[in-house]
Amino acid sequence: MLTTSAPSGLSLPRTRVPLAWRNLVADKWRLVRASAGIAFAVLLMLVQLGFERGFFGASLNVVQLLDGDLFVINASKYRFGSRDPFAARELDRIKAVAGVADVAPLYADWMDFFWTSPVDDKPHLIRVFAVDPDARPVFSLPGIADQQGLLKPDDSVLVDSRSRPFLGMDGPAKEAKINGQTVKIAGRFALGPDFMSDGTVVTSARTYAKFFRTALAAMPVETAVVRLKPGEDLAAAHQRLAAALRPGLRVMTKPEIVQFESDFQAKLSAAAPIFYLGTLVGFVVGTLISYQIIYTELTDRLPQYATLKGIGYGNGYLIGSVLRQAVLTGIAGYIPAWLLCLAVYKIVSDIALLPLVMTLPLTLISLGLTLGMCLFAGVIAVRRVIAADPAEVF
Amino acid sequence: MRRSLRVAAHLAWRILMHEKARSGLALVGVFIAILLVFIELGFFIAVPQGGMLVYDHMRFDLLLVSADYQYQAQPWQFPSARLAEAAKSPGVAQATPIYFAGISWQDPSGGVRLDAFLIGCDPAAQPFAVADIERQKEVLAKTDTMLVDDLTRPIFGPLTTGRRVNIDDRPTVIGGTYHLGTGFLGLGVAVMDEANFFRVTHRREDPVNLGLITLASGADRDKVAAELRRKLGDDVQVLTRAELAAHENAYWTLRTSVGLIFGSGLVISLIVGLMVLYQTLATQIARHLPEFATLKAIGYRDVSLGAVVVIEALVLVVAAFVPAALAATALYGVIRSQTLLPLTLSAAHVGVVLAAVLIMSAGSALLSLSALRRADPAEIF
Repeated sequence: MLTTSAPSGLSLPRTRVPLAWRNLVADKWRLVRASAGIAFAVLLMLVQLGFERGFFGASLNVVQLLDGDLFVINASKYRFGSRDPFAARELDRIKAVAGVADVAPLYADWMDFFWTSPVDDKPHLIRVFAVDPDARPVFSLPGIADQQGLLKPDDSVLVDSRSRPFLGMDGPAKEAKINGQTVKIAGRFALGPDFMSDGTVVTSARTYAKFFRTALAAMPVETAVVRLKPGEDLAAAHQRLAAALRPGLRVMTKPEIVQFESDFQAKLSAAAPIFYLGTLVGFVVGTLISYQIIYTELTDRLPQYATLKGIGYGNGYLIGSVLRQAVLTGIAGYIPAWLLCLAVYKIVSDIALLPLVMTLPLTLISLGLTLGMCLFAGVIAVRRVIAADPAEVF
Repeated sequence: MRRSLRVAAHLAWRILMHEKARSGLALVGVFIAILLVFIELGFFIAVPQGGMLVYDHMRFDLLLVSADYQYQAQPWQFPSARLAEAAKSPGVAQATPIYFAGISWQDPSGGVRLDAFLIGCDPAAQPFAVADIERQKEVLAKTDTMLVDDLTRPIFGPLTTGRRVNIDDRPTVIGGTYHLGTGFLGLGVAVMDEANFFRVTHRREDPVNLGLITLASGADRDKVAAELRRKLGDDVQVLTRAELAAHENAYWTLRTSVGLIFGSGLVISLIVGLMVLYQTLATQIARHLPEFATLKAIGYRDVSLGAVVVIEALVLVVAAFVPAALAATALYGVIRSQTLLPLTLSAAHVGVVLAAVLIMSAGSALLSLSALRRADPAEIF
């Protein structure tokens, strides 16, 4: 019969002895081994989950850095990273809408610019953003926002020091070649690559137009970044702007444009299932490791458990104690793994140039998985205690 | 020596058979450890294999590419005169150009303007070893007509024959589909004959993106390659299939974050696998410590007890390996369908994993021996 505590009829103390805890710390070396085993499984899950978020985050990074209240893009655009610009004269129409404080153009190209790398002296496809140095910054990234003034002289560029190493953008070079033309490196920023682009260059709208041998006024705009006057109602301004523009254009708020890109990535990214499968593997491995640990532990202490049973403690008490110990073991493995993971994320994000960051959701999900696997293992292993017969053990 | 080994093997077998349920559980643990290694290896090789997919279905013995060649989707270009020179070289049967272009794809009724990848070729030169393309040569010859890869993503709409699509704003007809796979060329890939390709992309015969060179029968590949390298000048490179595979593999593994991400996964899987094996074996030993201590007390030496453990480990690994390899084959199928990458498990990969887990199991068996060495007959009871 299962009882949750010692039978009340006996004069056994309703024990205050934290049995699970004492068991856990009884053998320091065993505790270290156990938590190391669990920590590995936790780390495996955390790294896989982190990669999944990192892959996703890398594609969203640049969209999240857009700095404005409303954004105007061509309605036929299916993702941010695809060139599909609209005529620059629309900017004047946007500016004339009531409540708009200012509008800054963003020009962008993913397919036409080749950067001659000082590393291998070969041309490499890069992503180019062009801004108006006199307008309000379009990106909130330090290094771009505060340095766009340096782009005023023609043929000046800012380059991404976190671009892939073979582009050689992080070196001390003062000059570089883009599409065979020499440009002056006026400064650096740290953005990082994504799936499509190995590196990013920011230049002025005028320099950009020069590459296309087009007058600046005739250069079509990829995104118009709109800022509203203080106190303007966002939804109302959204409607006014949409009504004022020709039908082929689309107006989005910041959350909408981030959602737009993240929907595209979620629909077409092939990477997510790989990392979920990786996490599942971590969970299964973790369950196995915890089971082994708990089982060994229970086997070693079987005489003690049998003794407790023999003096009248019910199965409920023993099961509770085993499960509590399982949870404590899980936590003992989780904490070092979480801390170690911070270092792993830092190292990997520097080498792989992916934005791996520990977040609260990531922490909670991985903690949940850890406790889940330990409890699951505990439930399977505890049958041994239930089966323990005091008369047989000795 | 041989006798003591036989005794050890017998003992190991008896231990494993003594408690079948426990041994079964250990087997499951080892099975998962091996499967984990297979899965991570699969992820590690999936991307480079995807990068080779389209090349694997092209007919050539030598590939002519620009000196600035990066990888398939960024091949740069070179003068078509190099291809003409190559064609005249002794031992060369045929040198045919391949043209690549990034294009926009939009339904005539409007909607999104998608990026797609367009391949231009001369179907008569049979550049693709793809039955659907060979079968539809006449379709490719029609004006403003293309064949579309049937793994082009659903976002491009139905790929029904006869559907009209604007390619770079030029009305174009889907003449049919072919089954190859898009690799890493893009979310959608289409093939056109040269005439249609030049019309839609406003390109000419010169320059070209790739040159497919087939050898005359009996020609020595390496000799022809050396001759071409000497003759053609330094704006082009001549690659054998093996060199190309090595180049593309290095690109995906080293230049992108793929190598690091899935490489680290592979390393972690080996460590976790090692730990699972160790845990399993250490548990087995812990459970039989009194018996081992007894054996020690009656004169068995540590070495022979060690042999028992190592044999036990090897038996477990070999028994778990077969189902793990089968499960991995099934899982690779899932990865193939989920990621559209042409992941296959080769005999070489199976061999590498088997070697790795055998080493790992022997290593963890030796690790777990420390508990055995400490086993003191006087203390156990």
